[in-house]
Amino acid sequence: MSAAEFVIETRELGKRYGERIVAVDRLVMRVRRGEVYGFLGPNGAGKTTTLRMLLGLVRPTSGSALVLGAAPGSPEGLARIGALIETPTFYPFLSGRDNLRVLALHAGVPETQIGPALAEVELSARAGDRFQTYSLGMKQRLGIAAALIKDPELLILDEPTNGMDPAGMAEMRTFIRSLGRGMRTVLLSSHLMTEVEQICDRVGVISRGSLVGEGTVDELRGRESLWVRAEPLEEAERVVRAFRGVEEVARIDGGLRVGVDSAAASAINRALVEAGVAVGELRPERASLEKVFLELTEEAA
Amino acid sequence: MTRSVTAELLVVRKRVSTWILLGIWTLLALLFAYVVPYVQYLNGSSRQPLGDLLPEHLVGTLMGGFPFFGGVFALQLGVLAVGSEYGWGTLKTLFTQRPGRLRVFAAKLLALAVTLVPFVLVVFVLGALSSYGIALREGADIEWPSAWLVLRGLGAGWLILAVWAAFGILLAVLSRGTSLAVGIGILYSLVIEGLLSALAGEVSLLDRLVEFFLRANGYSLVAALGVSAEDVADRGPGSFSGPFVGGVQALLVLASYLTVLLVASGWLLRRRDVT
Repeated sequence: MSAAEFVIETRELGKRYGERIVAVDRLVMRVRRGEVYGFLGPNGAGKTTTLRMLLGLVRPTSGSALVLGAAPGSPEGLARIGALIETPTFYPFLSGRDNLRVLALHAGVPETQIGPALAEVELSARAGDRFQTYSLGMKQRLGIAAALIKDPELLILDEPTNGMDPAGMAEMRTFIRSLGRGMRTVLLSSHLMTEVEQICDRVGVISRGSLVGEGTVDELRGRESLWVRAEPLEEAERVVRAFRGVEEVARIDGGLRVGVDSAAASAINRALVEAGVAVGELRPERASLEKVFLELTEEAA
Repeated sequence: MTRSVTAELLVVRKRVSTWILLGIWTLLALLFAYVVPYVQYLNGSSRQPLGDLLPEHLVGTLMGGFPFFGGVFALQLGVLAVGSEYGWGTLKTLFTQRPGRLRVFAAKLLALAVTLVPFVLVVFVLGALSSYGIALREGADIEWPSAWLVLRGLGAGWLILAVWAAFGILLAVLSRGTSLAVGIGILYSLVIEGLLSALAGEVSLLDRLVEFFLRANGYSLVAALGVSAEDVADRGPGSFSGPFVGGVQALLVLASYLTVLLVASGWLLRRRDVT
């Protein structure tokens, strides 16, 4: 993959506050054109600081970054980026429409873009009301509309479902997924596994300012295994260890986790029964993203 | 740039505090320039001659309010123009749009410069009407000051307010908000400049220092437009007894302050992280 295909590329990007606080530590991250990239990390891991550096709001203390081939914060880059960082921030005394007008004027975008952007987030009916009267969900949607008026190549969304009710969150996830279709790239920061799992093509896990894992959700979750509960367990372990294709067997919680392709499940079941082992449970198992996330972030800690 | 200035003018125009400040400033300016002195004149307790309240002395009578409480209002306008953006977090939103930090800042400054025009014009128009009304009531001759003097008065009033607004902007950028900036600004304008100016006549070292104060230069510029030093010293709130400097010096010092304050604010705004 050539460098031009990376919409975001960071090289050893770092941000320190004084001598003691390291917010982001030599971060190397590459986001490909057209993908929805999930930036996953616990609170305080450095997600927002990284996004702020990518937008030029915060200056890095080490390393560098290129966003759409330009330095972070440069007008040519910002013209092609839509962003929603943390909670949406707008003028409370202006209507939703006027807030978008202000941004469109600054961004050099035709005001005709405002109507469609408001319609896309289903805010047209309340567009004339003051921002301060909006619910949190409406504020988030206005934030998305603001990010969309530039018809950006890259969308940077920092926890866009924060504070939304479950229905609003589901709606927003579908919406973000739809935004990521075609050649538009979405960088989505979140600490919600289900969100990232449902929306993202690839995921980067950040912990204590460093990227500790990166890949597709499937890659991060690793190979499938089989979970077996049987009596007697010792005999069951002996039988599965002798089975061809089994890579590893581990005793966990009174059962066996067998490192083998799940397609071998019926053959293993037959072998166990023929050996006189009573099989109580046998099912394919895969590590959840949450488990992988906890393992990665705990290792880093 | 024009589009960014239009955006900032939209924000200023729709902001209630802009109109509240304009309203209170206008009321106070007229109250101390015409209403109180005229009531005192009617009661026979005025030290000010009626002539000061007639159209001929419009510029000198109105300008007395600009360097002091006019400045405080402009300071607040400057603080609110930039400090509120930190409070609402809108600076972050604006800085992730296309123009870049300095262009956003320049657009804010130009919008504020335009906003200060009605702060001067409205006071002059209502002041003219007040002096005309008093002249009619007293059956006095109505003679207006020359257009050149009125223009210089408008310019000087705008400059004085602009310097104070720039001071408010710097305080807002330094404190990244409004509360502390307004507090420090009022403390400086009322207490520090006020007290040191009062002591200036007794301590020679302070006399030199006070010559560089915003008030001293503001009043000196006003004095150059026809307000006598005695008038400034006598006139109610914000009375100032010197030291005065020459009109040209005052103009240069105020213009320098305006430049330095704005350049410092822009430099800080461009350099610092926005969180």
